[in-house]
Amino acid sequence: MERRHFLRAALAGAAGLALGPVLPPPAAAARQNQKKPLPELPKNLPWWLTNRDANHVFWTRGKYNFAVYKVRPLALDLNAVSVGHSMAYEDMVTGRTAQLETKTFARIDNVLKNPPRFAPSERFIGNTFSRRFGVLEQVFDQTHLLHSQTVDVLAEPSLSRAEKEAEIERLYEIYRTTTPYAITPLPLNMGYLYGQSYSRAFRNRYPKVNGLFWGYHWLQGAMYDALYGLTLEEQRKVYDVLGRQYHDVELYRTDRIFMPMTAEVSPRFSARFPHIANVFDNLHMLHDMVNDILVTEGLTRKQQDEQVTRAIWLVMEKAHEGYKPGDAPEPNGWRDYRHMEGMPGMGLMPDMTPEAMFMQGLGWMSLGECHHCSMPLPEGRDAWRAHSVTADGWTMRVRCPLCARDMSLETKGRAVLYVSTESPERPLVLISDDQGNLTPASDRGRDVVFLEQEASHAGCSEWSQAFTNRAAFDAFVAANPEYRGAKARTLAEWSALEGKRPDTYFKRQGPPGNPFDGAAEKKNEGSKP
Amino acid sequence: MSVSHTISRRRALTGGLAALVAAAGIPTLFAARPALAHDADCPYCKLKVVQDTKEQDNEVVLRYGRKRIEYRCVFCALAEAQTAQYKTGDVTVLAPSEKKAQPVVIERKGGKWSAPAGAVFVAVKQSHNHCQTTYRAFTTKAAFDAHVAKNQPLLKGAKPLDLNGLLAVAKGQ
Repeated sequence: MERRHFLRAALAGAAGLALGPVLPPPAAAARQNQKKPLPELPKNLPWWLTNRDANHVFWTRGKYNFAVYKVRPLALDLNAVSVGHSMAYEDMVTGRTAQLETKTFARIDNVLKNPPRFAPSERFIGNTFSRRFGVLEQVFDQTHLLHSQTVDVLAEPSLSRAEKEAEIERLYEIYRTTTPYAITPLPLNMGYLYGQSYSRAFRNRYPKVNGLFWGYHWLQGAMYDALYGLTLEEQRKVYDVLGRQYHDVELYRTDRIFMPMTAEVSPRFSARFPHIANVFDNLHMLHDMVNDILVTEGLTRKQQDEQVTRAIWLVMEKAHEGYKPGDAPEPNGWRDYRHMEGMPGMGLMPDMTPEAMFMQGLGWMSLGECHHCSMPLPEGRDAWRAHSVTADGWTMRVRCPLCARDMSLETKGRAVLYVSTESPERPLVLISDDQGNLTPASDRGRDVVFLEQEASHAGCSEWSQAFTNRAAFDAFVAANPEYRGAKARTLAEWSALEGKRPDTYFKRQGPPGNPFDGAAEKKNEGSKP
Repeated sequence: MSVSHTISRRRALTGGLAALVAAAGIPTLFAARPALAHDADCPYCKLKVVQDTKEQDNEVVLRYGRKRIEYRCVFCALAEAQTAQYKTGDVTVLAPSEKKAQPVVIERKGGKWSAPAGAVFVAVKQSHNHCQTTYRAFTTKAAFDAHVAKNQPLLKGAKPLDLNGLLAVAKGQ
């Protein structure tokens, strides 16, 4: 461990912590345009939050390092993300905020379209920013390294699924114990964090560049399910779909109502590693808070610096010691660790309850239920049995292969279907083209057979299943006499089926309109006609 | 039976009961209502797809290959069908008519559009919130006249369009 961290011994016992830093009382749930005083900097912050050292954490040694380059288009896109972040930050702290939507956007866009072959160190592009916000840069660097190495592990073909999962947990432990700058793994209340007096300033004033930032966050979230549990061949084919969506749509969306959450776009990874998904969402929210602080008019340089320090503290693991997911000593406030029901890897979003969340384009839903048939999804040790559909920028878990197939058929454009089989090590990955034709992403789908004896969706996870081969199908039928005589369908036969509308489906209802930005009070006229 | 299947059945029962409770119409903030279809926003106009009711069908379906995508109105489906993404290949649009469960079937095969003989359409540009009234298909001119008469002044001066007329209105929007 000594080789990789300079600070652990010096910082771990930070004296300031003993004094118990206290934040001012949290405000109630945020409302857009509500005038609030600038929050005060908490007293007795640990000294390491203001250190002036240039600490750098290096890669943990592993044969998987830089395996992301095996999925080369993804690697290059991630390199460009680093450049884009740094360019925008540098312009924000060097008096060029006014050109963010024009020259800065064009410069970043050019990099995104022509990504560098290697990942640059952000401090060499945003050197003014890095000098001024050194601690923030350390928080970013360290967590981005966790991002990178997690992706490398998932992209390394020589590791089994179990080995990958164990290594990711090891990397996470190294992340949180190397320096004090680890971000909390708890699901923080996004409504509170995005309800500060400065919140939304960046999104409202610089929608194009904000769209790029949220596009990066979409990619950084979506890439996990694109890699998790897939072979290299499958990863490449899935990223062909995802990368197109990223470049054609996600980067240039200015209508997004909130930053993409990891569990929205990688629900399988987030269900397995909720603590890591929460770290990434909290990191992305910290990015948003810093953006907002730097472009809020009327703040002095000292106020900006203080607010950035406070924003860092709000998401630090040290600041939330002693709490666990689900605790809520300050409901809708800073210490609100409730999460979406059925998804511990997602903190509460603005104006939502654990029971229902609003997903753009899909409306209100529960993350613990199949979006196609509304039946509960498997949880805990059985979570791997869930299937998923990726299309149109979202990824939803579903309860059975029929739900996956039919949901993809009801969605415009290409899609990726992740279909679990009887073996956690052998999922089936299918790519749907624009017309709904399904093709296996690898030869793992060569021998697959399906059971589909449509009945009430209350039992769909039993009567709709995929098996790696005929022998596995036969073993299931032998163990379950009620399916004696059931037909083993080939992929081609199964693809041609079309299920009925699920009898169990019901639409969750929430408050009308868009819960994020007051659109409920506006008259929605639609976007094109 | 495996443990997981037992769990699955127990949870399915829970979910099923939840659905039944929801169907009973308990009026709480997040209570669910029974839905006739799996619903989402219209891919073209981004407004909610209006669900079918007992009296009237509202959901427009665009079939493209094996895809079957719901739209809010016949205008949205035909506008989408004329975009670059759908330019190649055959499409079928099922446009709700004045008769329940009897949509007007609009097809494009080999690049040629067709609709049943006698089918007419209303297309009046208003706020798209009213598109269920302002863009609709009818099996007869008489049904069109009845619809226009019933929806005044929204459809004031509305003229019956044939399929080519509706396609022209929807093209390039």
